[in-house]
Amino acid sequence: MTATSQPAIEVAGVSRWYGNVVAVNDVTFSVQPGVTGLLGPNGAGKSTLLHMMAGFLRPSSGEVRILGESTWGRPDLYRRVGIVLEREAVYGGLTGYEFVRVNARLHGLDNPHEAAMRAIELVDLGPAKDRRTGTYSKGMKQRIKIAAALVHDPAVLLLDEPFNGADPRQRLHLMDLLRQMAREGRAVMFSSHILEEMERLGDGVLVIVAGRLAASGDFRAIRRLMTDRPHEFLVESSDNRVLAQALLGDTAVSGASLEGDRLTVRTDDFTRFTEQLPRIAQAARVSVTGLSPLDESLESVFEYLVSR
Amino acid sequence: MIPAIFVLTLRQLLRQRRTLLLVLLAVLPVLLALLFRLTAEEVTPARFAANGLFAGFIVNLVLPLTALVVGTAALGQEIEDGTVVYLLGKPLPRWTIVIAKVAAAWMVTAAVVVACVVVSGLVVLTGEEGYGLTLAFVVAVLAGSLTYSALFVGLSIRFGRALIIGLAYVFVWEALVSRFIPGVRFLSVRAYTLGVADGVTDVPARIFKASLSPGPAALLLTVVTVLTTAYAIRRLNAYEVSERV
Repeated sequence: MTATSQPAIEVAGVSRWYGNVVAVNDVTFSVQPGVTGLLGPNGAGKSTLLHMMAGFLRPSSGEVRILGESTWGRPDLYRRVGIVLEREAVYGGLTGYEFVRVNARLHGLDNPHEAAMRAIELVDLGPAKDRRTGTYSKGMKQRIKIAAALVHDPAVLLLDEPFNGADPRQRLHLMDLLRQMAREGRAVMFSSHILEEMERLGDGVLVIVAGRLAASGDFRAIRRLMTDRPHEFLVESSDNRVLAQALLGDTAVSGASLEGDRLTVRTDDFTRFTEQLPRIAQAARVSVTGLSPLDESLESVFEYLVSR
Repeated sequence: MIPAIFVLTLRQLLRQRRTLLLVLLAVLPVLLALLFRLTAEEVTPARFAANGLFAGFIVNLVLPLTALVVGTAALGQEIEDGTVVYLLGKPLPRWTIVIAKVAAAWMVTAAVVVACVVVSGLVVLTGEEGYGLTLAFVVAVLAGSLTYSALFVGLSIRFGRALIIGLAYVFVWEALVSRFIPGVRFLSVRAYTLGVADGVTDVPARIFKASLSPGPAALLLTVVTVLTTAYAIRRLNAYEVSERV
């Protein structure tokens, strides 16, 4: 759908601030056709960035280009761009079919009916197309919004948290659909704060933390970075003191602290640690009764990526 | 694309509960007219219709309230609930959105207020002197509702609380300030509307006389409509969709 020499999406030195608050800070990247995920914790600036890509927000500095054209103040660009925002608002008084058809009409398509029917089939909402969207579940609203965004067959698709509210079956179906869009040569960019969604869908990933681009590239490489980072675990056992001494003899363990009954273990090699812990405990004749990560929140993973 | 947005807006406006409330508001002058018909003996029907019913109740209250509720909902409601992105994310110049919204707001407002004038006018003036008053006020409220619609659509793009600001304009500025400070009537859509009615009607001045002459009133209605529409277009061109929307 797009020429390979020209990136589908280019974000060049883009910042956006609201008064003294910096929402996006000097972000630069470019995206080729395929599925690209925009990953980051809530409030990281993903939505602000997507709004700027969609031409709905003006960058405070820098420029966003889609298919070579600046996105701000260029309504003609919407002939080639489809947008799904996170908020689930739809025209509640319209049926699903009417909603998609009115979007087709607003795009000035020659055959709005045919385009609407095709888009509705793509999102698997045919049986519910004559129901008012006000009666749809959250997942159905999300799908009808995606149908409306696909109705004009765009070359670039921007989706803000598209799987919110979808049940697991719908989620898989939508993921297949987006993959198919990408195979057909489209650039699909979606934002999410859920690692598993990125893992299943994103060919490439851009990690946004506190308004900055913290990492970008192949998801597997970034996932490895995330896995291999130092981890901290709370360990519960029949004899924490003996276990701490035994663990410190292994190269996977970089530190252990015992405060009262509480044993905290730090490792720089996650894989080896999880393999060795049972063996070490067995050798020391200690029973491990609990093992829980202390820093597994997405925010702590992102903080690690930023600090690198 | 204007017809598509126009029809979409009409559907949105007509399914709102507050539009139903406006229809109830529009029934009040008809009830007043019936009450007059049944009880009043001292006031002539033409004088009551012109000053009490049309100017006093419909132009003072029904017209601005209807235009305010409809005009601020036409686009403001879409901004508030987030559906405006379906219009802004289309290959349309934004002026087409404003024109369609003003036209839809005008149509709904005019339908409610004109029906109110015609029915209450029929009740009070059938078989009486001053029958042309009804036509004069139909023309006047048609013109006035266009200006109010453009004003309130513009207001809804600029302010999140356009309804409250509009209420202050209608009940404080137009109803109080402009009535008691003579120079200020030039800044009142209500005064322009009455001026147009005065220009179209054939009743003598002893029955109905507006404070503003018809010529300036019509000119000011046109100027305010054009300026507020241009302002609305300018605001929408610069409008940014917050991620909270």
